[in-house]
Amino acid sequence: MLAQVVFSGLALGSIYGLVALGFAVVFKATEVFNFAQGMLAVCGAYFAATAISIFGWPFPLAIAFMAVAAIALGVAIHVLLIQPLAGRSMLAVIMVTIALSIVLRAVIEMIYGPQGRTLVTPLPNGVITLGSLRISELHLTAALVSWACMAIFAAFFRFTSVGLLMRATADSHEAAVVSGVNVNTMNRLAWGIGSLLAAIGGLFLGQLQIVSTDLESIGLLALPAVVIGGLQSIPGAVVGGLLVGLIEQVSASYISPKSTDIVIYTLLLLILLVRPWGLFGQRELGRV
Amino acid sequence: MSDALYSKPRIVARVAPPLNVRLWRLLGVALALAFLAYLPFVLAHRSAFGFRLTNAELLNLGLSQINLMMIAMLGALSLNYLTGCAGLISIGHAAFYATGAMTAAIVGTQWGWPFPLALAAAAVTGALVGIIAGLPSLRVRGLYFVLSTLAVHHVVIFVFLEYQFRYFDVVGVPYDPPRLGSYALNTSMRWYFFLLPVVALVYWGFKNSLGTREGRAMRAMRDHELAATAAGVDVRVLRLKAFAFSSAIASMAGALQAYFMSNVTSEAFGLDFAIQFIAMIIIGGLGSLGGSLVGAAIWLLAPSIISGLAPQGGDASGWMGTLLVEHKPQLVQAAFGVLIILLLIFAPGGVAGLGRKLKAMLSPQRAR
Amino acid sequence: MEPALAIEGLSASYGRKGLALDDVSLVVPKGGIVALLGANGAGKTTLIRAATGLLGLHGGQTTKGAIRIAGEAVQHLPAHRRVRLGMAQVPEGRLVFKKLSVEDNLLVGAAVLPRAQRNESLESVYALFPRLKERREQVAGWLSGGEQQMVALGRALIGRPRLLLVDELSLGLAPIIVRQIYEQLRKVGDTLGASMLVVEQNARLALEFASFAYVLESGRVTVSGPASEVASSEAMRASYLGSESA
Repeated sequence: MLAQVVFSGLALGSIYGLVALGFAVVFKATEVFNFAQGMLAVCGAYFAATAISIFGWPFPLAIAFMAVAAIALGVAIHVLLIQPLAGRSMLAVIMVTIALSIVLRAVIEMIYGPQGRTLVTPLPNGVITLGSLRISELHLTAALVSWACMAIFAAFFRFTSVGLLMRATADSHEAAVVSGVNVNTMNRLAWGIGSLLAAIGGLFLGQLQIVSTDLESIGLLALPAVVIGGLQSIPGAVVGGLLVGLIEQVSASYISPKSTDIVIYTLLLLILLVRPWGLFGQRELGRV
Repeated sequence: MSDALYSKPRIVARVAPPLNVRLWRLLGVALALAFLAYLPFVLAHRSAFGFRLTNAELLNLGLSQINLMMIAMLGALSLNYLTGCAGLISIGHAAFYATGAMTAAIVGTQWGWPFPLALAAAAVTGALVGIIAGLPSLRVRGLYFVLSTLAVHHVVIFVFLEYQFRYFDVVGVPYDPPRLGSYALNTSMRWYFFLLPVVALVYWGFKNSLGTREGRAMRAMRDHELAATAAGVDVRVLRLKAFAFSSAIASMAGALQAYFMSNVTSEAFGLDFAIQFIAMIIIGGLGSLGGSLVGAAIWLLAPSIISGLAPQGGDASGWMGTLLVEHKPQLVQAAFGVLIILLLIFAPGGVAGLGRKLKAMLSPQRAR
Repeated sequence: MEPALAIEGLSASYGRKGLALDDVSLVVPKGGIVALLGANGAGKTTLIRAATGLLGLHGGQTTKGAIRIAGEAVQHLPAHRRVRLGMAQVPEGRLVFKKLSVEDNLLVGAAVLPRAQRNESLESVYALFPRLKERREQVAGWLSGGEQQMVALGRALIGRPRLLLVDELSLGLAPIIVRQIYEQLRKVGDTLGASMLVVEQNARLALEFASFAYVLESGRVTVSGPASEVASSEAMRASYLGSESA
């Protein structure tokens, strides 16, 4: 029933919002549309699965491992793939991120095999009943953690010196260089954060379903989320994520499970035709 | 490149090259034709000039792979025309293949039209869908436009999926055995000799189009849209025309592929299918038609050649063996992904670019 | 005493086009104010970009010569390292962070200081430009041209630079505002002991303000000397003082 669907839609949407936030951070900082963001979420899930199931580490340590690995991966991607392509055409940059997702997927399948793995975590898995509503504890946890992460990052950007420098770099690359900001470091940081946020999202998606490379297509829903919310807007990314989550659940329940993609992408097309800068973005002449 | 736009057209007297150069060229063309004509026999009978050839000597290639390659060449040519020459980046190319396959299914399988008509219908529908797909370019540019092609992709694939499950089933959409009149295309050899002139015609068609004033205007539009508009080029119409031409061919290729495989499912037209074509044109070189052919050839044939060269099953030991045996497709994918990345960073011109550099090195006295 | 800035035989170009700077030598003595004059396209901004390390960003490169800040060779250092050596700039067009508040703009410039000193420095910039303090929470993109110029200046000064490069301060500003800003610059220079290189199209104003001057023409230094001499030289009078707006 509707409230149920809305709730799970918002919960899933919070996870998408997290991944989309990571995406938006990267885009605002380096103007790269990272087609590999879905795959970075998958990597996060696999990092966690490796630490838990293969290394056998306790949960907090495993999460720490996942965070460090994700940040390292993001920084490595910027240094090896994005920096060398500075100033090159958009097709080149898009293609590099697509090629990256292909390589990541192939490498993961080579190391772990194509079947999925279950993620065993101490995250609550039960169901809370509120009247006629059955709320999944996992959904609730995922939503709460996602929001907590977003709040932490919002605070980071707003109140720390480094956060300020990152905002400045995103505002104007040249003005940042003029002011003595080490723009390269800021960009790497942005990629590290983007990857970390995707990884956390991937952790929850992997818990909700199964850890496999198929998670990529779910993580990729962050892309329309960001565009619908507004490519240049950070809060827009989050709202876009919530919207996509809602739409996904609603269309899955009321139309058909297969219709989710088409509904979301039709909406994307409409937005692009009517209001390409998204719900929260600002019209910028000459940009993109 | 924009010189064509600003300077007056120069009247250049076409000077015929000296006789011996012409003779050599003629000889080269004759040899190439002979090779192309003999190749299918070599592959089909696994022997050349009477000598039996091993799998290794044949580079682990079969005639059906060559045929698939030729169909892919059509896709690569059309995408390069759109992206490399007209400057319209599109990741929705699979959608046009799907359009062609679906049209062919409707008119061919369901209505019973003959194969050539089905192909023509596919081309026409493809052009129409292409124009529709190109409409967002009138409203948005750059990244937003790429995203619109992504959205179009999903929409078309969904339509195909619905079609497949409405009229057929999960096994796929079937196609009647194709025949040209009474001549049935039922062997690889026949397909080969059918596809060869098709590819040649399409190549020639694109090349010709690029040589016209409109073609040059298109490239001017790609390089500097503002300048082109200022020079009086109607960029909007040009863009839609480029889309129409490109998707017509891609759609026809989709129909060809459907008939060739005699059965297709919607999974065949996923995003990774579209991405393959982008990979082909990057390898071959953006904007180079010849490069598209090379790129398609490398992408389609290299995996077979490589797995032919790699040691068979039990030879290699330990994790190397597991890698090569169990995960061969992933290894090939990873290798190609890395190749694309390296090409993008170090050799952005692709094979065509390398070829140009080679040419420049070998004939330094040729004035620019 | 090492000059604050020494440019020795510098040549630079953009891509394959001709030389934008041709064997230029220039010295900013410690504590001195030097004016760099010349018509549009003479190469003044190219010189500033080369000195600050922003040339690459605009597709240019230095082909020969050396740049020294307080004696240290910096032509191979990236821009942010030069800022840490005590160099700051107020670029042409101001380049404020349009979406950040005034205070945030200033704090970006303060990032080069140790944390303990940042607030103190912020207050001294506010003392210098009380208008900025009034508008500290406002988004910089909405300020007037003069106020944005103050923001850019404040952002450059907050890091307590030893060397300040100012590119086209007067562009788009009313003369009375420009005069005020130059007055404050002079005060700041005295307080901080900063050396300055000022690029100006408004030659008369710059020559009042500076102690030494160079004139660039098509990438070469054609006139140099004490400001008063340059002001009275025939060449200057003819090309600049005759046609410039009061």
